[in-house]
Amino acid sequence: MTVPLTVLVVAASLALAAWAGWFVYRDRPVILRQLWGASVVEALLVVEAVVAGVLLAGSESVSSPGLFWGYVAASLLVLPFAAAVAFAERTRWSSVVLLLAAVTVAFLQLRMTQVWTG
Amino acid sequence: MPRPETTESKETAVTAEQPEAPHDDTPPTRAGFGRVLVAVYGILALAATGRASYELATKFSDAPLAYLLSLLAAVVYILATVALWRGGAWRGVAWVSCSVELVGVLAVGIASLADADAFPASTVWSGFGSGYGYIPLVLPFVGLWWLWHTRPHAAEEGTSA
Repeated sequence: MTVPLTVLVVAASLALAAWAGWFVYRDRPVILRQLWGASVVEALLVVEAVVAGVLLAGSESVSSPGLFWGYVAASLLVLPFAAAVAFAERTRWSSVVLLLAAVTVAFLQLRMTQVWTG
Repeated sequence: MPRPETTESKETAVTAEQPEAPHDDTPPTRAGFGRVLVAVYGILALAATGRASYELATKFSDAPLAYLLSLLAAVVYILATVALWRGGAWRGVAWVSCSVELVGVLAVGIASLADADAFPASTVWSGFGSGYGYIPLVLPFVGLWWLWHTRPHAAEEGTSA
């Protein structure tokens, strides 16, 4: 985990959350373009996981790797789930789910940073 | 006269019908707002399961009671998620698991305030779920309300009995 990458992931997921929030306000379901946005965030998460793996294989270390990788796995699961809901539920509620998922990704970044540094 | 139903029903028709009366193929506990409920329950189930398995694997002997409670919470959240997703015959499971959560979060919340020594390590339910933004406290109320809100209409006993 590097600081610039974490900041990028948080910014991208919060942007996605804001986009979804706008759709909640407008009473609209998730659109495909938002799912492309979500896949960008997901790709960043994968890059971050790979970078973390490379760093940990090298000189870096975390006090509780199990916890760290648990958060990595959880953060990777959230957005695909929201995407599945977006296909199943064609109402504003899919936008609420995407909003919650994006906020969760941002929050998990915070916890991952705490585990990484602490 | 009734129009023949078009087999290729458009998305718009589904959208127009969904909000409050999802009666046919989709279990009512899952549709509409239910998606959000299942999503939040799913996230909490994931968090509680991860936490419990981590605690049990690495430091079970430190605080067995607290970590077993974490495990119980995880199981109940998983049950609630699945039951709310399935609906139908699973409604009973949903009622029970939401009720257990409510009792659990209140009991552990009060106990962790009153007798902090008995809970040296925190659980999902400690301090009424304050470590999780009080979501564990709010969620069972919302879950029970939703189960009541989506209850089958056949339960009008006044006419049948």
